[in-house]
Amino acid sequence: MSDANEASARRPASGPHATGGDDDARERPAKRRISQLLRQERRTAYFLLLPTFIVLAVIAAYPFGQVVYSSLTNAKFASSQPTSFIGLENYRTLLAFTIRELPAQLDEAGQPVVLNGKVQYVSAVSILPRSPTRYRQVFQFSLFGKRYVLGAISADFVRSVWDTVVFTVVAVAFETVLGMIIALTLASRFRGRGAMRAAMLVPWAVITVVSARIWEWMLQPTRAGLFNTVGSYLGLSDGRTDFFGNPALQLPSMIMMDVWKTTPFMALLLLAGLATIPAEFTEAAKVDGAGPLKRFFRITLPLLTPTLAVALIFRTLDSLRVFDIFQVVLGNQRYSMASFAQDMLISRRDMGLSSAASVTIFVIIFVFALLYVRSMKVDTQ
Amino acid sequence: MFFWLLILVLLVYLLFPFYWAFISALKTQAELIKTPATLWPDNPVLTNFKAVLGNDRFVRALGVSTLVASSVTLLSLIVGSFAGYALGKMRFAGRSASLYVILAMTMFPQIAVLAGLYAVIRLLGMPAVPSMILSYMLFTLPFTVWVLTSFFRGLPDSLLQAAQVDGATLIQAFRYVLLPLTAPALVTTGLLAFIQAWNEYLFALTFTVIDPPARTVPVAIALFTGEIARQEPFGEIMAAAVIVTIPLVALVLIFQQRIVAGLTAGAVKG
Repeated sequence: MSDANEASARRPASGPHATGGDDDARERPAKRRISQLLRQERRTAYFLLLPTFIVLAVIAAYPFGQVVYSSLTNAKFASSQPTSFIGLENYRTLLAFTIRELPAQLDEAGQPVVLNGKVQYVSAVSILPRSPTRYRQVFQFSLFGKRYVLGAISADFVRSVWDTVVFTVVAVAFETVLGMIIALTLASRFRGRGAMRAAMLVPWAVITVVSARIWEWMLQPTRAGLFNTVGSYLGLSDGRTDFFGNPALQLPSMIMMDVWKTTPFMALLLLAGLATIPAEFTEAAKVDGAGPLKRFFRITLPLLTPTLAVALIFRTLDSLRVFDIFQVVLGNQRYSMASFAQDMLISRRDMGLSSAASVTIFVIIFVFALLYVRSMKVDTQ
Repeated sequence: MFFWLLILVLLVYLLFPFYWAFISALKTQAELIKTPATLWPDNPVLTNFKAVLGNDRFVRALGVSTLVASSVTLLSLIVGSFAGYALGKMRFAGRSASLYVILAMTMFPQIAVLAGLYAVIRLLGMPAVPSMILSYMLFTLPFTVWVLTSFFRGLPDSLLQAAQVDGATLIQAFRYVLLPLTAPALVTTGLLAFIQAWNEYLFALTFTVIDPPARTVPVAIALFTGEIARQEPFGEIMAAAVIVTIPLVALVLIFQQRIVAGLTAGAVKG
């Protein structure tokens, strides 16, 4: 063994042949041996870490650099067309948006046209800029009695960003609240608790694509689908609710699917967090006469905050990256940020634009992560 | 009373989709398109299951997924345990920086590297299956390193020192003393990596769209065209869903304590 040999090679440097002060002489070779060992440790550590960093360089660092570079060109996917550098043109195409006011339609007397009690507005197409590039409507909204339209060159992308953020906020909110309720329910001891915990892992274990297909089948737009059958039986719908074709129902359907799949995971995380809270705290509060609600908000919740914070971060960042359910069920009807970028790359073969979308998504997620980490630091202070 | 009602509602909520998938798989094509839908097949048949198991593309996808997931898991554990040992037990410059980078990588969005990764793969001329094995390490490796680092750190220093006093090099100490002790952590992270790899869709879809024999199970299920019915053969899709889900669920249930411990290890600061 190499270091044993090296250590014995140093031994003659100590003892009667040493120069200088006795203590000093004995320390120097010992120090040398220690620093020799430290150097060996460092070398071994770098050697052990090398495979990890090589892999990450090949599949993360270089590809991401490539993506950033591509976003500044007009590269086409899998084509021999020559690519040229076009600077921030892709980003302009992707992110340029405008908000215009929609005036009301006027009749001959100059009065606003009213139909069925609602004021009719001019169509967005006539208001939004059309040259040099066309801006398409993302959505309309009303503010202080006036109507506005948000238009963008890449209406699909801007809409996907909005949809993804809405999806994330609503889904994570549901998952946290429901997860909390489930965790609190399971925290108490009861017969069959183990089986319940096992059952909670089942949705997590299912492949996301498989779960998407099962839900797609349950949400069929005819009464062959479960939801329509039950809905028409309860008188809630006419049995022909199109969950995936009706724009108003698309996001709620996605949220429902995601909540089903992920709430159990949230509940398990929160349950683990609850287990770290010493029972004495809640017991003492009970003795002092605090009701269950007060106990929860005054004791349990504050002590659970670190676990809650971490769970929220992970879930939010995960939700912002949602791809599977949108691509499998909604395809190119309605995009999430990630499914837009992928569709742009594979179907439309626009590598430059897709790369710009990828970089934008990365920045958005990075900003969210930063905000979270910062707010978490403030909390734990 | 109210408590048990809550438990029942919860159980139904968690398990009903499988029940629905299962009975749908047992229905004939005629019964599937019948309205309204029935809670139990009038005439249960096994045709859908037989068709799916006879579907070459689906069966091959099962093999591909198993191969890819196993390889990724093995590679991640090997590379990850090396890194975990270094980061957990050794002192060197750049240690905490490395840890931060690895932690950041656990949140790295796959979509951010998709186009670039595809370019790298075409550059290296890699066929689809090795490409997937390598690419999946993007999300399995950082998590594995992170968990194993904290595990190695938890092992007492005295073990390592005793081995070194006995004349072992750091590598020998790793192989003969510390690694056997990390077996539980290896099993946990291995399971989690395996399940994540089975689940992966984005890379698999992108890399195998033009290479049908290399498709994994998620891609096969998403792009499923049936043997019997052609247009959205939901009977067969549900049968495929059941066939694929049962082993996974069984695996998760057998190792549930390990899995829960592994998942919560990162979240709950002990």
